[in-house]
Amino acid sequence: MARTPLLSTRVLLVCAAIGVATGIVGGIAGSLSLVVLATAPFLYGMLLGAHVLPGIIAQEVLRLPLVALITHVLAALVASAFAPMWIGRFLGTALLFGAIQEAVAAATRYRAWGPWRFFISAAIIGVIIAVVVFFAADLGKLEPWAQIAYLALSVVSPVVWTAGGLAVGRGLRRAGVARAHA
Amino acid sequence: MTVLAADPYADLAARGRFLLGLNPLAKLAAPLPAMIALVFVRDLVTPLAFIGLAYAVLVAGARLTPRVVLLLLVALPAAVALLGFGMAVWADASRVDQSEVVLTIGPWTLYGGALVIGLATALRLAAIIALALIAGLTTTGPDLVRASVQQLRVPYRVGYTALAAFRFVPRFGHELDVIRQAHRVRGSHGGRGPFAAIARWWGYLVPLLAGAIRHAERVALAMDARAFGAHTDRTERHLVPWRARDTAFTVAFAAVSLVILWLLFPWAASPWAGFPWAGFPGAGFPWAAA
Amino acid sequence: MGNRADDTATGTPVVQVEGVAITHDGETTATPAGASFAVHPGEVVLLLGPSGSGKSTLALSLNGLIPHAIPARIDGDVRIGGRDAATTPVATLSTTVGMVFQDPDAQLVTGTLLDEVAFGPENLRLPVEIVLARTEDALRRVGLWERRADNPDRLSGGGRQRLAIACALAMGSPVLVLDEPTANLDPAGIEEVYATLADVVSAGDRAIVLIEHNLDQAVGLTDRVVVLDARGRTVADGTTDDVLRGRAEELHALGVWLPVSTLAALALREAGWRIDPLPLTPDELRAAVEAADAPPPATVPAAAEGAPAATPPAPPAAPIEPVVTVRDLSLSRGRTRVLHGIDLEVRGGEFVAIVGANGAGKTTLLQAIAGVIPLPRGHVSVAGADPARTDLRSLSRRIGFVFQNPEHQFIAHTVFDELAHGLRLQRLPEDEVRARALEVLARFGLEDRADTHPFLLSGGQKRRLSVGTALVAGAPILALDEPTFGQDRARADELLRLLRELNDTGTTVIVVTHDMQLVTDYADRTIVLDDGRVVADTTTGDVFADAALLRRAGLRLPPLRQALQGSRHPALAGVTRLADLPAPQHDARTVRPAEAAP
Ligand SMILES: Nc1ncnc2c1ncn2[C@@H]1O[C@H](COP(=O)(O)OP(=O)(O)OP(=O)(O)O)[C@@H](O)[C@H]1O
Ligand SMILES: Nc1ncnc2c1ncn2[C@@H]1O[C@H](COP(=O)(O)OP(=O)(O)OP(=O)(O)O)[C@@H](O)[C@H]1O
Ligand SMILES: [Mg+2]
Ligand SMILES: [Mg+2]
Repeated sequence: MARTPLLSTRVLLVCAAIGVATGIVGGIAGSLSLVVLATAPFLYGMLLGAHVLPGIIAQEVLRLPLVALITHVLAALVASAFAPMWIGRFLGTALLFGAIQEAVAAATRYRAWGPWRFFISAAIIGVIIAVVVFFAADLGKLEPWAQIAYLALSVVSPVVWTAGGLAVGRGLRRAGVARAHA
Repeated sequence: MTVLAADPYADLAARGRFLLGLNPLAKLAAPLPAMIALVFVRDLVTPLAFIGLAYAVLVAGARLTPRVVLLLLVALPAAVALLGFGMAVWADASRVDQSEVVLTIGPWTLYGGALVIGLATALRLAAIIALALIAGLTTTGPDLVRASVQQLRVPYRVGYTALAAFRFVPRFGHELDVIRQAHRVRGSHGGRGPFAAIARWWGYLVPLLAGAIRHAERVALAMDARAFGAHTDRTERHLVPWRARDTAFTVAFAAVSLVILWLLFPWAASPWAGFPWAGFPGAGFPWAAA
Repeated sequence: MGNRADDTATGTPVVQVEGVAITHDGETTATPAGASFAVHPGEVVLLLGPSGSGKSTLALSLNGLIPHAIPARIDGDVRIGGRDAATTPVATLSTTVGMVFQDPDAQLVTGTLLDEVAFGPENLRLPVEIVLARTEDALRRVGLWERRADNPDRLSGGGRQRLAIACALAMGSPVLVLDEPTANLDPAGIEEVYATLADVVSAGDRAIVLIEHNLDQAVGLTDRVVVLDARGRTVADGTTDDVLRGRAEELHALGVWLPVSTLAALALREAGWRIDPLPLTPDELRAAVEAADAPPPATVPAAAEGAPAATPPAPPAAPIEPVVTVRDLSLSRGRTRVLHGIDLEVRGGEFVAIVGANGAGKTTLLQAIAGVIPLPRGHVSVAGADPARTDLRSLSRRIGFVFQNPEHQFIAHTVFDELAHGLRLQRLPEDEVRARALEVLARFGLEDRADTHPFLLSGGQKRRLSVGTALVAGAPILALDEPTFGQDRARADELLRLLRELNDTGTTVIVVTHDMQLVTDYADRTIVLDDGRVVADTTTGDVFADAALLRRAGLRLPPLRQALQGSRHPALAGVTRLADLPAPQHDARTVRPAEAAP
């Protein structure tokens, strides 16, 4: 990593802090996933959406390139400490979601930080989850109501979690936490 | 990496056990082919074989504390039973083998075929977990970070940020406790039920994160003050080399995995077998197994 | 002490600060506004100044963290070992200036003491043998070598701060800068840190710049004192004698804290005692007082006149109903029994302090009383209610609880809403909510900050607001856990004065604190906890008269007590609080030692 001001120790560690907090959420979601799979599998998409949080909060607080990706990876590491069996899944999701969020931010050259920008990434992530899960889980064989619920939740959940992440990020900005980075 | 949650820096003193002396990356990489293959597997025997392999390696090479024994002998089997039953309940009844009826409650019937499918899925997940535990139970966070820096060329600044992040975990846990108490004292968000609970947790998030970020900024100053990031690399006292035995372990484990797969040839008739997306979380559903 | 400063004053300074003004990004005024001083090799410099005068800011500029890590504009000249600090990288400066910060937790990166100390030298790419040699040397100097394989989390607060000193030593820097290194520690931890610093100083190879509010310990080490005024301009720079003894009254007026012994001596001079020169430590005060004669009898009436204020308020004649009763309370946290059969009573209108060493169970007891943690039924009664059965909403109307860190407690987005929250919970009409919230704002001097986010207040303001939120619901009892944690002496004093005022108007106050002088200055009654048991529960004066008890409970005597205990002057022998000192001969309460000493 070149010594650019973008990745000062301070920015890295703020990413770590956000990563730890959201990683704990991800770890809880990971631990719950067995329970959800066993009791109400169609809710699984809702849990998966929780993994958008690290990048959303990091970008909203820091508004810098690469912070979403780094925070995602750190959150994945922390989450795997809680649910070690999902380490591959956590890292994969982190890299995928982080890359999408970075790509959308890069497309606006890291200048536009309006909420719409975050919801574009959320929608892309939601569609990808829906498509992947449709094939992987062989949805065609489900009852129609379950198919619809499943698909709808897969698309809606990243959007809902993004809105939540944005609200937290705004709360932090209002509390003056990120002022010096803006 | 369960050890990490309890004490990220626990010193793995018992050096006699061979897994403890291996490069963390070897322990992560060796079971990887088996884990990927398991995603496509649909039978009962293959996951059982891999669970056996993972347990054998763990018994031979890991430190068997009471906690670990409990995890291997009680927690994992219990999870399989629970998950198997749960999955069986959700399987699409019209697509399973209905020759055997296990349970009938009103209009709903649990068939033996559904149970088999549920169990297969549960065992598959258990096998993947057991394989992940080979690295998880025998690796410390710092060693994994060092290996990533030394072998995978991850920038050391990012690696040490991850180390600092592991230190944050217990501290934040304690802060969260205090914040929850404080909010209780303020009489905020009283009430029961899931919505009150969500509102309550929502109120904890901003103070927790704000405290976390302030703490992180102070740690960053302390690290900068000690010349962190001054050079493109830093002295490394603990080398985590990739030795011949790491290659041997990885190759041997992969070879045994292949032999098991070749002998059992578990993918007979699954329509989605070999589909690249199948590795994504979500694979492993009962209806996917039909 | 003084000699070294004279010896070295002629050499080239390692730190040279000249006319430095620092403006944080986004601010309009510079703090500090014009600081100048120099540090020579081997010298110990104490940097004083009122809160907000820019001491911490100045410290951060000494190794380039400002402006390299924290954006700010620096005017003037900071030269470290001949280099310009504003343009030299932090990494280079760190080999000349080592830093120790306030929060020991925020300075830890790795998993063992050895790795932690080696972290700095490793960053400098030193060869492994040198890294290890430096690490061993540093750990030995702070007395932690034996524990090198331990996780830093297992050290006490004082131990962790010593570790931070070792980390700074291992950088090999000839200058150590310490910014309030003992602000969060209990008395034993503070002693540990100063013993370590005294060792480092005695080796003579390191200069130290010390920013500290706890002067009673610091003056013993110091060669030279630099004082900043409220805007951060150097107003005094000289030997400890010249500055602290010679210009004490001027510093006092600036709002700079002086050692308690010095404050006491100033008050005694007022009362007609001839004390010259001014003492800085309890030992010096004792010597001065024993050498002096009590003022002539003419002054006695004056002293007697002040006496009512001086003696601790006597328990009221008519027994007042207890508002808090604890009967045979035992509590476990985790698997350990933390409290063992606690019995105590607090009567309405009392000001009670709970003290004890780390881990004695003070927080647990206070939280049990306030119903913050689950407790068994039937052992505690607060204003007639059992916290174990009462829901928190109605309990918060009876007792207000204030946590150590005020930020934890804030739940609204503006200062006003923060106060209104408790009132709205009581379903009061909105205009009454408004009126009462504004009244509290005015009382706490926060009127002009009503729309600010609570997190954006200064530390002292946050603390006042958190007390306000506990009060606004009209709770007649206030329980505070270490209200002076992380605050400087001036803010701590301000807060306790405020509590005193509330107490005078009838509020019952219970505080947990490590600050013995504050306890003695404010509390009527002191409860000493030791290992989960009440070992003393009597008037504050009596508790601090019992040195054996204090030692057993891991506490220390407050400085005034140390100095005056067993004095040959009957008027002073029992004195523990500044307020108990003989009253001045003049009506004016302002300290005017120049008049008192002919
Ligand atoms: N990062 C920052 N951004 C903006 N202003 C700051 C920052 N840090 C400090 N300040 C302001 O600079 C001034 C000096 O603060 P500083 O912390 O240096 O004071 P201090 O003398 O150390 O006070 P104290 O004795 O309370 O620790 C204060 O008004 C403070 O609000
Ligand atoms: N949540 C908890 N779980 C387990 N043990 C705890 C918990 N909280 C406190 N303890 C233990 O209970 C004992 C008493 O703790 P408590 O916080 O009441 O002490 P204290 O007197 O307030 O100490 P300090 O001066 O350090 O604040 C300590 O040994 C502590 O380790
Ligand atoms: Mg300061
Ligand atoms: Mg406590």
